[in-house]
Amino acid sequence: MQDGLLEGLRTIVGAPNVLTGVELSPYVVEGRTPDAAVFPGSVEEVSAVIALVSELGLPVIPWGGGTAASVGPPSARAGLVLGLRRLNRLVEHEPGDLTVTVEAGTTVGELQAALRGRGQWLSLDPADAERATIGGVLATNASGPRRHLYGTARDLLIGVTVVTAEGAIVKGGGKVVKNVAGYDLPKLFVGSYGTLAVIVEATFKLRPRPDDERLMCVGFDRLKDGGAAVRALMASDLIPSAVELLDGTAAFGGGGTGGALGLGPTLAGAAPAPPTPGAVLVVGFDGLGEQVEWQCAELTRLTAQLGGHHPRALASEVWPRLALGARAAFPVATAVMAFGVLPTQVAELMEQGASAARARGLGTAWAAHAGVGAVSAALATGHEPSEPAPIAAILAEWREIARAGGGHATLEWAPLAVKSQVPVWDDPGAAGRIMQRIKAELDPKNVLNPGRFVAGI
Amino acid sequence: MATLTESRKRELQRDLEAIVGPGAVLSDPEELLVYESDGLTLFRALADFVVFPTSAEHVAAVVRLANRAELPFVARGAGTGLSGGCLPAEGGIVLSMMRMNRVLEVDYDNQLAVVEPGLVNLHLSSRVGPKGYYYAPDPSSQQACTIGGNIANNSGGPHTLKYGVTTNHVLGLEVVMPDGEIVWLGGKTREAPGYDLAGVFVGSEGTFGIATKVVVRILKKPQAVKTVLAVFEHVDGASEAVSAIIARGLVPAAVEMIDQLTIQAVEDAFGCGYPRDAAAALLVELDGLAVGMAAQTEGIVAACRDAGAREIRTARDEAERALLWKGRKSAFGAYGRVSPAYMVMDGVIPRTKLPYVLRRVNEIVAAHGLRVGNVFHAGDGNLHPNILYDPRRPGEEARVVAAGAEIMKVCAEVGGSISGEHGIGLEKSDFMPFIFSAADLALMRRLKNAFNPTGLCNPGKVFPTKKSCVEVGPVAYRPHAIEEKGLAQRF
Repeated sequence: MQDGLLEGLRTIVGAPNVLTGVELSPYVVEGRTPDAAVFPGSVEEVSAVIALVSELGLPVIPWGGGTAASVGPPSARAGLVLGLRRLNRLVEHEPGDLTVTVEAGTTVGELQAALRGRGQWLSLDPADAERATIGGVLATNASGPRRHLYGTARDLLIGVTVVTAEGAIVKGGGKVVKNVAGYDLPKLFVGSYGTLAVIVEATFKLRPRPDDERLMCVGFDRLKDGGAAVRALMASDLIPSAVELLDGTAAFGGGGTGGALGLGPTLAGAAPAPPTPGAVLVVGFDGLGEQVEWQCAELTRLTAQLGGHHPRALASEVWPRLALGARAAFPVATAVMAFGVLPTQVAELMEQGASAARARGLGTAWAAHAGVGAVSAALATGHEPSEPAPIAAILAEWREIARAGGGHATLEWAPLAVKSQVPVWDDPGAAGRIMQRIKAELDPKNVLNPGRFVAGI
Repeated sequence: MATLTESRKRELQRDLEAIVGPGAVLSDPEELLVYESDGLTLFRALADFVVFPTSAEHVAAVVRLANRAELPFVARGAGTGLSGGCLPAEGGIVLSMMRMNRVLEVDYDNQLAVVEPGLVNLHLSSRVGPKGYYYAPDPSSQQACTIGGNIANNSGGPHTLKYGVTTNHVLGLEVVMPDGEIVWLGGKTREAPGYDLAGVFVGSEGTFGIATKVVVRILKKPQAVKTVLAVFEHVDGASEAVSAIIARGLVPAAVEMIDQLTIQAVEDAFGCGYPRDAAAALLVELDGLAVGMAAQTEGIVAACRDAGAREIRTARDEAERALLWKGRKSAFGAYGRVSPAYMVMDGVIPRTKLPYVLRRVNEIVAAHGLRVGNVFHAGDGNLHPNILYDPRRPGEEARVVAAGAEIMKVCAEVGGSISGEHGIGLEKSDFMPFIFSAADLALMRRLKNAFNPTGLCNPGKVFPTKKSCVEVGPVAYRPHAIEEKGLAQRF
């Protein structure tokens, strides 16, 4: 990187906030070292930095907590890491309006802690809450088990401020919970992986914290039975906040970790692990104490008729492990794939996917936000794969299973050698051309996270 | 826009008939008049043709023809919109979607339905109701308005406080793009790969293309519903009650406010049993599990009493619930009985600013020598001031428009928005700078360019622009045809 440019960056953000050389090691992704990392302290500084570097066509890689830094194809060019962690102010919280405006570098954990004192919360529970930033969660559309009842970022984000590829500061949406003025820019930026603009501030609608909350789990001998229980639960009068279906490995772990449930103090040692291949249905309820109580009893009654056994309450520590999905099953997963299918297809996908992997001698774990059809699968080889082909083959097979039912699959994590054989993103079809046109309109020089997203974007 | 020659017109008529059939093209000026406005009769614009496609292929072929002929085109549902959004602002072709009104698929297990855009909103809930399901967005015109129109405007309704607006219930759409290509945005499954184009399309007011199939979520009907009417001596008390309900951590399905003028109009017209001397009434509805409903209802009652409610009624059964809602639902019909005309405003403010903004609205309207009735979605701060006037009095309509602009400015000043559910359309395009900067609008224009580069798809909407071909007041108020039939209300 030219010295003149570095000087320019230091002038904008202050010398201590520009990293170069060996200081860049935390920002190395898949062997690629960025040219520099810069940490602006205000929205105006973000704007000035982007205006400076985009002139030169230098790629800009927005960086929050770094929890999703390796998602996507490896970047073709190095560039400037734009760290947003210093943008961590709570701008405005009006409890009476049930809205909050927060800077993008605030972690989810920091925001929730600030809201807790006022009896409110952001009803979004992605994994790694202590590291994941609001900006990163929005850019990657991260969510967790409570999405079953409360939706995802698109349902909660009511306003957004971004810095465009040219450095302009632009607002979309607003600060009120209902608003149809202008195009819905918040929807455009949720899940756009930093390819259209850099999110610097977000306004959310909030909810009052429930009086009571509980997680229940019920064992099943087969995934199929667990799937039938999900269907019955969805058709019932119950209003669960989370509906999770896990196979035995995702629930109780493979290779030394505890799985999603194994660490739960209530279960540890107490519950006999269901025989493999078993399934565990985990259901969350919240509301008034009497509502939670009644629903837990109803769940037990309803699932007992469908072969459910060992119903019990889980410790609240299990929640964040559920957000990890199948990843929680292994100390190190070789690959993680995320699927979107119909809720009724979840159990079948899990069974088929696991048996296809078994046929190739590969161990897997499967977990799903079953009520919304969001499934994750982790593959473990137990050692660093010397040959990517068998792994690539099973991932491609999984994707085909999902696609055959009208679903889709994203390769969330895999070694570089595997990613070069299996596309990370699924094919967006004819809509891909519209996406390319949006990208060309908003980032004509292709500087924002180039090559990270679908359709070559 | 150049006027079409008679021979060119005949040629186009023939081409359109070749696509949709001879019975599905209107070009007679008398027939076109029916389509010259929507529910906001202040704006009028005549199309050259109105066509009635019955398939996505029809829509695509009409759109391709329009592109070849360089004619603007716009989709239209039931015409209940309130911002002039479906008007052919620059002439051209109106595609009426009313013959594409089928429910194509209902998947109860996956809680979704695939419908055509001309389906009437309420017909979807009627269809899935017997199995215990419903479609949540419930605009007050739901007996007439269509799902396609709801998508264009991202429509809300009283019960969107708890359940969200249209965009929260649309999973995917089949769309005819402005160049005639048929594309799926999103689908039946969550999080389709790439940008959330379905999310961006909903609320784009018909400027990004024409939806031809829609995948919507259907919800299980709640086990229990409880409705409470609280009557207040002071408007501020009703506003405080809204905040007190929120402060108690309660999340009602709906919180609606009705002011004194409206209560009196309703009582004069229909006799719904609301106390005529009350300053305001609050209608609160809870839904969900039967367990806990009593405790939550007590919370609502206590919040209203603490805020000074002088009387609180709780519906004991469905008949009583319907009676409590009757006053709210018949408000707009009632205005018609007490005033020759009225214009409904739509703005949003932070809930906590309700007392201040309601006072300002009354001051502004009074300063223009007019009267206003307020009936609105108080729970989410979505105001609907209805300014009463007499269009036969010279200059009165212009004063209504001026008062409306001032009210929008107040909404913007307190951090609100210039539309909560009616859209920008023609009506508010010049108000966009109240809440958006030049840079904000520039980015929206770039997004529009990506979908609609020629600008032929519903031109003249959303963005500030000169309204060359549109007739803008002072025109005498004429109720819309569907209003006369009593099919729709305006809010």
